[in-house]
Amino acid sequence: MASVDDLSATLNALADPTRRAILARLATGEAAVKELAEPFDMSLQAVSKHLKVLERGGLIVRTRQAQSRPCRIQPAALKDVADWLENYRKLWDQRLDRLGDYLKELQTKDREKDNGRKA
Amino acid sequence: MDARLDAVTEAGAGEIVVTRVLDAPRELVFAAWTDEERLKRWWAPKGCTTQFCTVDLRPGGKFHYCMRMSDGKDVWGIGIYREIVALERIVYIDSFADAEGNPVPPTHYGLSADHPAETLLTVTFAERAGKTTLTLRHALPATVTERDATEQGWIEMLDRLAQDLAKARDGGPRWTQR
Repeated sequence: MASVDDLSATLNALADPTRRAILARLATGEAAVKELAEPFDMSLQAVSKHLKVLERGGLIVRTRQAQSRPCRIQPAALKDVADWLENYRKLWDQRLDRLGDYLKELQTKDREKDNGRKA
Repeated sequence: MDARLDAVTEAGAGEIVVTRVLDAPRELVFAAWTDEERLKRWWAPKGCTTQFCTVDLRPGGKFHYCMRMSDGKDVWGIGIYREIVALERIVYIDSFADAEGNPVPPTHYGLSADHPAETLLTVTFAERAGKTTLTLRHALPATVTERDATEQGWIEMLDRLAQDLAKARDGGPRWTQR
């Protein structure tokens, strides 16, 4: 599990539709900046900026060897986000379990009271 | 009634949606969410207890609570109500707090300063045939929820990617291959 600082950088990187579209593209395989820029109406520099944010967020890596420096997705950071969200879900599952039990208990008591009155 | 009482409905970007059918009338469920003594009975998650709970049920009012965790540490929280529709809907902003009810940064409880300080909770209640469907939306910080309207379910995309990652570790397909 990444530190919370890393998580924050990942969340920031994900908070943009263009960057998420780039990630979705990279999920199908690595690609060069030029190729990634094609679907967007923006300059290569603008796309490079987005890539830098994704890189800081640990979501992609850029190959050093090739001149085109193709980008590759790094799904481990995505898993950290999924794990983080999962914690919230667990908390609510546990709370709502207790709520369900409590409501059951309340109504059992009420029924007992009613029966007592009738008897 | 469907035997499956739990359902996770489609969530938008950066939010969790939990739906649960509770075998109780809506009045009772709403009271369990808004009455201090009732809240104390269930609010803390498993293994924890609610040490303190006050409710000022009006927009701008405070929901101040303290949970004693299983390790004995107290964690205070504060909710500021944004919207209350009796029996139907509760909306509040949740953050960490101190014993006086002032919001405190997450660092107070040993978390990083970058940890989201506020989350938005929306709870709705709908009754049918004596049972109440509770739908809870827990929205993560604005940085995560910002998105264009046409895009949906990117969280599911993350889940899929995470699953594929697990597969890749097991010797399945690799991301770099086409």
